[in-house]
Amino acid sequence: MIAYNQTWLANLRLQEILKNDLSKGRISDAEFKAITGKYMVGFFTPGVFARIGLFIVTCIVVLFAGGLAALMASSSNVLVSPGFPVFLGLLSYAGLELMVNINKHYRSGVDDALLFTTGSLFLAGLFMLFSTYNNGSNYAALFGIAFILSAVFTLRFADMLTSAACCVSFFAFVYFTWTGFLSFGMATAPFAMMLVSAGVYWLVCADRNKYINYENCFIVGQIVCLVTLYLAGNYYIIQSLSDDLHGQTNTAIPFGAFFWAWTIGIPFVYVAFGIKKKDAILLRVGLLLIIAAALTFRNYYHILPLDITLTIVGAILLGVAYSMTRYLKTPKHGFTYAEPKEENMMDNLKVESLLVAESFSTPASAPTDSGSKFGGGDFGGGGSSDSF
Amino acid sequence: MINQTGPQVNEFYKTLHAEGLLSDESFEKVSAEREQPFFHVHWELKTILYLGVLLLTGGLGLLIYENIDTIGHQFVLMLIAAICIGCFVYCFRIKLPFSTEKVKSPNTAFDYVLLLACTSFVIFIGYLQFEYRVFGLNYGLATLIPMLVLFFVAYWFDHLGILNMAIANLAIWMGVSVTPKQLLLNSDFDSETIIYTYLLLGVLLIAGAYATQHFRFKKHFKFSYQHYGVHVTFIALLAGYFHYYDFPLCAVWILVLFGFAFLIYKDAFKDKSFYFLLLVILYSYIAVSSLVVRALMRVLESGGISLLLMYFIGSGIGLIFLLIYLNKKLKTA
Repeated sequence: MIAYNQTWLANLRLQEILKNDLSKGRISDAEFKAITGKYMVGFFTPGVFARIGLFIVTCIVVLFAGGLAALMASSSNVLVSPGFPVFLGLLSYAGLELMVNINKHYRSGVDDALLFTTGSLFLAGLFMLFSTYNNGSNYAALFGIAFILSAVFTLRFADMLTSAACCVSFFAFVYFTWTGFLSFGMATAPFAMMLVSAGVYWLVCADRNKYINYENCFIVGQIVCLVTLYLAGNYYIIQSLSDDLHGQTNTAIPFGAFFWAWTIGIPFVYVAFGIKKKDAILLRVGLLLIIAAALTFRNYYHILPLDITLTIVGAILLGVAYSMTRYLKTPKHGFTYAEPKEENMMDNLKVESLLVAESFSTPASAPTDSGSKFGGGDFGGGGSSDSF
Repeated sequence: MINQTGPQVNEFYKTLHAEGLLSDESFEKVSAEREQPFFHVHWELKTILYLGVLLLTGGLGLLIYENIDTIGHQFVLMLIAAICIGCFVYCFRIKLPFSTEKVKSPNTAFDYVLLLACTSFVIFIGYLQFEYRVFGLNYGLATLIPMLVLFFVAYWFDHLGILNMAIANLAIWMGVSVTPKQLLLNSDFDSETIIYTYLLLGVLLIAGAYATQHFRFKKHFKFSYQHYGVHVTFIALLAGYFHYYDFPLCAVWILVLFGFAFLIYKDAFKDKSFYFLLLVILYSYIAVSSLVVRALMRVLESGGISLLLMYFIGSGIGLIFLLIYLNKKLKTA
């Protein structure tokens, strides 16, 4: 089962809670020291930047080791067989077990990177084996095996990425099996996917306290399920699949009204439930999916030109924010907009300020470009770049 | 993302209390907190505000751009000016008094209203220049004024986002771009002027970072200066090295790079910042590796590849140990 020392994992969780208490001044420094001394953790877990650095460097090592292996094997024709990436994956996995068991790495960047490369190499092998590369593709088998592998990795390392891969490959497996082996599969696929994702969501949200080491995995699973449940009934997705099936564009869709209602309604249902149950994940996924719903709608109906839409939506958002602050001036019904005092990585990096610089200052006002734009207020997509 | 309200947590506190590790007073405090956990919508609110400002300014910009023929320039200018002045007046009225230390913003919306004010100000200046050529062909002045205003606003209202905008504007004024995305996307490092400009900018920013700390004036602004400064300087030095690759001058560039790396390394230790330590290590690694590749390519014209691969494997493993070591050292330092 799980590769990490379970007592340490439990102690780590407790230390996190106490750290939070300490930063809010609920417990004293001496108490914190005494408790963490008793409930100690022996993992090697560096800070976030060390983790990123170790991740990058480990990936470099694995990449060049793979290159060296390929160079040595290049005389024979081993390279084209799916066995080669799988073999490399096994080596990488051996390294991972070594780092975790002997060197006690836990979320150190090294184990993250090795798990990542192991998974990718196995996946590459699977693709070589089952996709068109080897004459005749069998996606159901591919995703079936990928699901089993990622499930095993998730159980062993409780990693968020593998749990996401696990959920996605499970849904892909169900989809390809359903549409591939049932004669009425394609027509009923949306409903099947809805039922399956709702079922998995229900499972994931069941009693989690028994599997407390996998808390993060459950959260990831919850997100994937919610998104899949939405996409299963999204009008754009249905339309594209239907077009694919009939080989023509803009085919008529049975139950079109139902799918439209699903596309627009589900995000709001998520948000409503998120507020009612005080579930941050439901709420945030719902808010993001509202954007998806709006984009889907705009894809089919152009009621307003882009500029007016942007202006109106921006004004509405500011209005919502304003009324929210007004309404929650004094915290109500257990809601508050005050900043949570927990230590947050985002603050550490000052991400927000970097985001502002990315999205609000494009050098469009530079003299060379004066013919096309006004400069400054360009609404380029703010995104963090890979350099921090 | 830890469930902090589960039954186990309460049990845990009880155990600690029983073991005598938690005093009565602390136990009361943590128990009181458990009973009324608040649901924080802080990040949701901030995201909505951020998106709202982004979409509104983007939409307004586009709206004006599309309809410029029908609505007339004066009206547009007045509208933008009204938004700008309105936002600034609001900010001036509710701001907390100035201090050389960090000043908290009076409410959540404040930061975004200020952002809207500054963005509309930049649009206003750009518009004036574009339509009426207020600054003539003196483009330097057209970018200098927004930059100065942005720097002033950043310091006066203590706003990190605006400071970042100001730094980006400083780069624009010098004729280059500075945000990482732009650096990667459309930078052309093949001309000497650009390399020297970047180098100057980087040195300026590093000097700014140093001055911020030395004079104890808005010390929390140091990160922004140093973040851009370090990236820009390293990239400029590397670019300089590759630009003069075939000349003896390249030795100077690489030496300066290592000297600079050493300075930042010392400073990172002083600040206990692993972020800058990591940057130093990674950029220096690129420099060292380029030297090694160069040497290997010259010595072994044919069989160099496998040696090269081995170098990267070996140095990578070495780097892992180095990072682990530095992590420990930084924690105990």
